[in-house]
Amino acid sequence: MAATTTTSDASLIAITTSDGILMHVERPVAERSILIKNLLEDLGGEAPAEAIPIPNVNEAVMKKVVEWCGHHRNDPAASQDDDSDSRKKSTDIDEWDQKFMQVDQEMLFEIILAANYLDIKALLDVGCKTVANMIKGKSPDEIRKTFNIQNDFTPEEEEQIRRENEWAEDR
Amino acid sequence: MNEYPRIPAVSRIAGRPRRRDASTTRSDSSSASTSPERGFDLDDDKDSVMMQSNDSLSSLAPSVAPDSDDNNDSRRRAIAEQNRVSPVSRLPAELMIAIFAKLASPADVKNCMLVSKDWAGNSVGLLWHRPSTNKWSNVKSVIHTIRTANSFFDYSSLIKRLNLSALGNEVSDGTLQPLSSCKRVERLTLTNCSKLTDLSLVSMLDDNRSILALDVTNLDSITDRTMFALAQHAVRLQGLNITNCRKITDESLEAVAKNCRHLKRLKLNGCSQLSDRSIIAFARNCRYILEIDLHDCKNLDDESITTLITEGPNLRELRLAHCWKITDQAFLRLPHEATYDCLRILDLTDCGELNDSGVQKIVYAAPRLRNLVLAKCRNITDRAVLAITRLGKNLHYIHLGHCSRITDMGVAQLVKLCNRIRYIDLACCTALTDNSVMQLAALPKLKRIGLVKCAAITDRSILALAKPKQLGSSGPIAPSVLERVHLSYCTNLSLAGIHALLNNCPRLTHLSLTGVQAFLRDDLLTFCREAPPEFNEHQRDVFCVFSGVGVQRLRNFMNTNGQAEDTDTDDFGMNDGTMYHEEDEASDNMMVVTAQANIMAIDEMDDEFGNDSEMIGHD
Repeated sequence: MAATTTTSDASLIAITTSDGILMHVERPVAERSILIKNLLEDLGGEAPAEAIPIPNVNEAVMKKVVEWCGHHRNDPAASQDDDSDSRKKSTDIDEWDQKFMQVDQEMLFEIILAANYLDIKALLDVGCKTVANMIKGKSPDEIRKTFNIQNDFTPEEEEQIRRENEWAEDR
Repeated sequence: MNEYPRIPAVSRIAGRPRRRDASTTRSDSSSASTSPERGFDLDDDKDSVMMQSNDSLSSLAPSVAPDSDDNNDSRRRAIAEQNRVSPVSRLPAELMIAIFAKLASPADVKNCMLVSKDWAGNSVGLLWHRPSTNKWSNVKSVIHTIRTANSFFDYSSLIKRLNLSALGNEVSDGTLQPLSSCKRVERLTLTNCSKLTDLSLVSMLDDNRSILALDVTNLDSITDRTMFALAQHAVRLQGLNITNCRKITDESLEAVAKNCRHLKRLKLNGCSQLSDRSIIAFARNCRYILEIDLHDCKNLDDESITTLITEGPNLRELRLAHCWKITDQAFLRLPHEATYDCLRILDLTDCGELNDSGVQKIVYAAPRLRNLVLAKCRNITDRAVLAITRLGKNLHYIHLGHCSRITDMGVAQLVKLCNRIRYIDLACCTALTDNSVMQLAALPKLKRIGLVKCAAITDRSILALAKPKQLGSSGPIAPSVLERVHLSYCTNLSLAGIHALLNNCPRLTHLSLTGVQAFLRDDLLTFCREAPPEFNEHQRDVFCVFSGVGVQRLRNFMNTNGQAEDTDTDDFGMNDGTMYHEEDEASDNMMVVTAQANIMAIDEMDDEFGNDSEMIGHD
């Protein structure tokens, strides 16, 4: 990596993934991760001497995350009233993100976990919305099939829960 | 960065089919909501994770250390296997909850509950956070579940918000009583459930230490008993609305003031028994008060007002409409030179004792006032208006209706120094002439203007309002941004002026011309809104308000049919039945203004939202 002494915006940040791979990421891209951004800030703006270990994310997932961060590098910092409307609609995911999220379930959940760990709110949001869209409108059984989940309720328990939550049928 | 603290991940072992009792498994919410870490260590208790994450939805964060189980190898292996088979099981509870939170429909969340025990545990809190109680059948179903002895979850402890206002007076003590087992309710909204009494309210509030906001508007049977129960338990209370609970007295509210010290928003409208005693107690004990509305608390004296201002460093909104006893002293007694920069909204509607010197003092003391309502402060003159000009660009909203001593001179100064005014009402300021309106027309941001019964104004005024404005001294010419124009009983107006207004104000959505002879013609009245049902025949005869598409249709009609000059003047004299209308018009305006101002208070932004609320007013 270019071990520049000054940290211009274009400087590269080195990170090591959980599988021991060294990656170089442009600083503004890496800083989409609040975890990394805070860490760099703690270092007083100087480029870290050693690669930053990211022990919870492997190379394959990190590549996807970096791809997303690269595409969204210039997005305005989302802070304001994010929470209020993010709870509402799950359908509206922009086209690029939708394509980006067309991955197998294993990767999808790894991306979500990585976004959570690295503290990339917007990516986490897109991930959660994607999963929510996979749930929407499905019956419990269809949901189980979609995610390969074992039904561990007895029929009586299932009936009980259905009964106790009857009000939620209705819109 | 060398340490990777792990939050307990969710155990995926399909054992432990025990009931999840939320009340026994709560834990600190902060770790779940803020830490980005994940982990697959299995020293967890899924219930604690579930509950802590649920809690992050609410503003509560009771601290109980999470209990932990022992690691064990076979569990670890089983989980690895499950993660392989079903990748979704890698997500910890907090992320499952984040996903479920994206589901807008309760039916979808309920289907998630039925998927598996894990999923049920992670979705039940969301579903019951605010059960839908908009319909009687839903409420019955919720109550039935709450009363079920061996329910699968402890639903009653999951309800954080309860709102029965949609059912109004169908709600009785018998309805609310069974819900009194919900001791973690944070927001209880019972607006207009007027059959409710102390009986159910007291048991609802008993032992609830979570409540943040209580709205019992128009529950006129409730008494001090309910308020004492609140004072005893509601240590976290931040918002209280007891509008029109007329039986409540100083005694219980003093107790509330002393015990609920986090209060921020208080609405005590129409609690006619209240005196300075309770209000001073609020001022002295509740230092975080942001908004207080004392509309129609007619017994209040100056001292409580002075104390509210001096003791409330954060006070942002003070509403004193119809507090008749208030005099200039309320403000003149404020300490010399002290300023109250937080105060943005002051409503002094119908504080008839107020004179110029009181207005002068409060404007000096609260230099950042943005909304100032002085409607029906009939004593005030141009001197007060000149003082108001000190607010400069901070002033966005000014109501001077029925301040009939104001003259063109005052208005001219106001326009000159407060050019960010968006809303102005000068109804019944009968001394004003076209000169005032021609000045007002220059306000670049003016959206709403009320000139009802400013009988001296003519088409000259209207043509000035219609004229496109130059932005800045050499800026571009932009069309008027006027949206709402109230010209009822401006009897000199003719079609020509209004036609120009229609064609030059593209954003116009409301135009009232009640009692303006030129418009009382069948071909034009077809575009007019329906008169409100409570109007009598004569009121209907003169009613003429165009709104929404009506404005558009009127504009189109006038453009296609030319301006058939209206020569037919007064059949109904304008004085015929005026008293009637005056009352009507005035009180409507008041309501409208208060509603608008309230909305503006909520929404920092602008008058945008005022529009709809004004629809309820009729002029």
